[in-house]
Amino acid sequence: MDYDRQNPAFYALLVALIFMAVGPIVLMFYNSFKLDVDIIGGTSGLIFLPTIQNYETALCDVLWYEPKHLDFCALKFGGAFVNSLIIALVSTALTLIIGCMAAYALVRFRFMGRDTASLTTLMVRMVPPAVLLVPVFGLWNNEFCISKKFWLGELIRDTFGGRGDVCLAGTHSGIILIYVAMNLPFVIWILQSFIVQVPRSLEEAARVDGAGPFQVFFQIVLPLIKPGLAAAAIFTFRIAWNEYLLASALSDRDTKTVPILIVNNMSEFNVEWGVIMATGMLLAIPPIIFTLFASRQIITGMTAGAVKG
Amino acid sequence: MKSQKLNRMTPYVFMAPAVIIMGLALLYPLGYMIYGSFRAWDPSQNISETEFVGLKNYITLFFDPAFRESLSVTLTFAFAVVTAELAIGVGLALLLDRNIRGMSVLRTLFILPMMIAPVVVGLMWRYMYHPTVGTINRTLKSMGLEGVDWLGQHALLSVIIADIWQWTPFIFILSLAALQSLPRSALEAAKIDGATGWQQIRYIKLPLMMPVLIVTGLLRLIDAFKVLEVILVMTEGGPGLSTEIIALRISRTATEFRELGVAAAMSNYLLILLLILTLGMFVITRLQEARAARQARQIQEED
Amino acid sequence: MLTKLKRMALGASTALTMTSAAIAGPYDAYEGTTLVVNFPAHPHYNAVMKILPEFTKETGIEVEVDQLPYLKMRERQTLELGQDEGDYDLIAYVVFSKADYVYADQLENLARYFMNPKLADPSYDADDLIDGYVYNIGFAGGNKGYLQGKTGSLFGMPYGSETSVLGYRKDIFEKHGLSVPETYAEMLDIACKIPQLEPGMGGLSSRAASGHHAAHAFLLHLAPLGGRIFDDAWNPIVNNKAGVQAANALKKIIDCGPEGAASFGFGEALGSFLNGDTAMFLDTTVVAGQIDDASKSKVVGKVGWAMHPEGVRRGSQTGGFGIGIPKNAENKEAAFLLMQWLTSKTGDKLVALAGGNPSRFSTHADADVNAKFPHMATFGEALKHADPDWRPIIPVWGKINADLGTTLSKVLTEGLDVQVALDGVAERTRGVMEEAGYYTWQ
Repeated sequence: MDYDRQNPAFYALLVALIFMAVGPIVLMFYNSFKLDVDIIGGTSGLIFLPTIQNYETALCDVLWYEPKHLDFCALKFGGAFVNSLIIALVSTALTLIIGCMAAYALVRFRFMGRDTASLTTLMVRMVPPAVLLVPVFGLWNNEFCISKKFWLGELIRDTFGGRGDVCLAGTHSGIILIYVAMNLPFVIWILQSFIVQVPRSLEEAARVDGAGPFQVFFQIVLPLIKPGLAAAAIFTFRIAWNEYLLASALSDRDTKTVPILIVNNMSEFNVEWGVIMATGMLLAIPPIIFTLFASRQIITGMTAGAVKG
Repeated sequence: MKSQKLNRMTPYVFMAPAVIIMGLALLYPLGYMIYGSFRAWDPSQNISETEFVGLKNYITLFFDPAFRESLSVTLTFAFAVVTAELAIGVGLALLLDRNIRGMSVLRTLFILPMMIAPVVVGLMWRYMYHPTVGTINRTLKSMGLEGVDWLGQHALLSVIIADIWQWTPFIFILSLAALQSLPRSALEAAKIDGATGWQQIRYIKLPLMMPVLIVTGLLRLIDAFKVLEVILVMTEGGPGLSTEIIALRISRTATEFRELGVAAAMSNYLLILLLILTLGMFVITRLQEARAARQARQIQEED
Repeated sequence: MLTKLKRMALGASTALTMTSAAIAGPYDAYEGTTLVVNFPAHPHYNAVMKILPEFTKETGIEVEVDQLPYLKMRERQTLELGQDEGDYDLIAYVVFSKADYVYADQLENLARYFMNPKLADPSYDADDLIDGYVYNIGFAGGNKGYLQGKTGSLFGMPYGSETSVLGYRKDIFEKHGLSVPETYAEMLDIACKIPQLEPGMGGLSSRAASGHHAAHAFLLHLAPLGGRIFDDAWNPIVNNKAGVQAANALKKIIDCGPEGAASFGFGEALGSFLNGDTAMFLDTTVVAGQIDDASKSKVVGKVGWAMHPEGVRRGSQTGGFGIGIPKNAENKEAAFLLMQWLTSKTGDKLVALAGGNPSRFSTHADADVNAKFPHMATFGEALKHADPDWRPIIPVWGKINADLGTTLSKVLTEGLDVQVALDGVAERTRGVMEEAGYYTWQ
């Protein structure tokens, strides 16, 4: 391909932009290998003695040895990481399945209530999570519960332990539920614009061949919107992985996710910058990996529906 | 017969899971909250134990200077952020819309800020803004200038800058995509007619990009009201109330002041505000679409 | 002969069994229980975590800790305490939660545990516990509802309590021939001299960030200067002369403080002192352990300690945490045993040696503790002047505190006039108090 030559000022601008975009992240990366004393003392940037102490503190519950500088393991990063992973993966899978079914219905079928559904989906998108905080907190803790006296409640208590009624709060399912609900509008919106591009003729041909609507959906439409599914998956995973507010309201000590761990660690008594940077870095790794390997899908997802043609 | 019935039920079957989940986890809580906003509700109570107080929560808020300040901070933040990001994002897109090697690598790097968790973004910037050991002040001092008390004196500005850092790439990528999908014919015709770069931008590129920009801008505007975690980690709403956007105030009223009824009323105010903006979005989009269609037809006719 | 021997053997073994049954340890019945406790992320409780294995070794009771930042801990507790069956057997509560929890009847009254001979340790020596702490943190229902008094009763034990103390850089003071300030006038004077004597260094490092931090800093100065938030009839008097003086003192400290002082939370203020950017530090005793930690502090060995300066009187802070048993706990007796062990003479000494805050006079005077932490003796002295009425502990305090803090932050950052600001706070406070019913008897 033929590339035009540009003047050096252009390249200088590019370098500056890259520096500004990636700089803070690289800074965090560097700082995560420094001791607190060095970070606060400002021993200047690039030449220092790297230490993995911060990562040892963060990962203390999955290490096979006991780090010397720690008296007890306060951060339980391993457990939080597993929680985050479970919640993010399950909510992504559920959102995709439910979302693409709904998107298909909204695009292809004419049925009563279609416009209402379409409109509601769009309107719900503007609700800030902070607004949901109060009612979700109340409902998940008090109303969406199985009483301990009910046979199912007793069964759950006997298998999993814990006290009191079995409520959605403090469970993985509770958080997954709200994440799926929050992400559905966006996913439906993205997938709609992809499904619209699938030629009707293909579906009609399959129908003529005797395929039922489910078969048409799973075998014809789904494979053709794979890029859309990938984009939607990445976005949903990103939101579920990074979210803090609702997770902190709905989790208890066994279902903490990584963002909660990070914010909890910023205690006002002891701002351990090194460990905070290390945990921040660990949290940022999956999204960074996604970005590096799937940037095209991400961009496709972003532009879907916004740019015509 | 059976296949006909299946056909009629199919759309409902496809929609059902989504409808159930959104109803249960979004619409019911919203309704619950609207119900709760008319009551005096302490967190230790179940909603059935609360007493009805009518519009008291709404009226208290309306006259509460703290709420008003929070509202003005929210609006300032949202509009400042969207304007800046649009200006910078579109400007960059126009500048960088050239044939260069490694464009995709560039795009990949630019997306990174968007993908980082808001709590981590807040953390990074909090460190960089630290008055004595933060990167920014240290750089300023090494250049001989004085350090600035970012999070103390210019908190709102600092928060706006952090948000611009995170979301300008979004606008940039979208504008770039829009630019690269413009009809080449119009641009070439203009170039043959001797239009300068600036004239090309003003009369052809921008108008044709308008629909995309409007949608993007309004999307960003709605998201700007949702920003909470970044501000929470950087300033917790301080100093004073200078960075306490409404979403943060709602969360604080609920958890720190323990007045869930007032928090619910505030949420409703916020929702009404967003509703007005969204409706405005619809109207403007429709108008713009009509106008763009007209213009596109005009250009085609001229060819 | 054989029968006689048999009878003797039978008698002896019965006696042995009966004795061993009689001297069965107090912890035997609870061996194997797991207690779930809620602690804040706080230096004292980090020290507690280090000594908990000792408790398990001695008693066989396991302890599972849920450690949270203390504001989050409060939210979590509000939730758990309101349920029918709670998750926690023992909670550490912030002192101003005492009012909420006792009022909502969510904490166990400790009287019947101390009356139970199987649980109460006769060598406990409760008189050794620091008075100011016990009445401020554990007692409820006394005078004014939250102080010592004939009508009150004990609902919790002080644990992780703190008072305020002045830390100063011995080397800087020696270098410029400054003497340790005893009064407020002296301290303010030195605070503003330091930036001139040592360019780039602040005088006194203090909390000032909007909200809780600014309010806390203000209250530190209010009591010694003779002020109070309320008078005896609950009328707000925070805007009287003493109040204005306290606010002005705070403003002066911030103006002569290090860069960015107006937005310092506790962590930043401490960090500034640890980094050597300020010459004095007036805040809680909790920080002592960190001063001597080389991985965090650059001023190891350079810090001296003095009592909180005197205004018209001495009145240092009382605050911190206490531990109590929720009414909806599952293992209340075992929780009481843990509470008693932690606050006993041995437990208190262990936690002091691990870097925590002792709750007993004897621990402060103990030779081993002082050998490791020489500042303990000064702290013990300071505790004699700890003022239990340093801050009103009433259910509506949270709201008043938030308003006070945000208003003071405006004084510090936006130049709001002090008298106008305090008048505003007094007026709004009056509204809150009226709504809560405090003027019903006037």
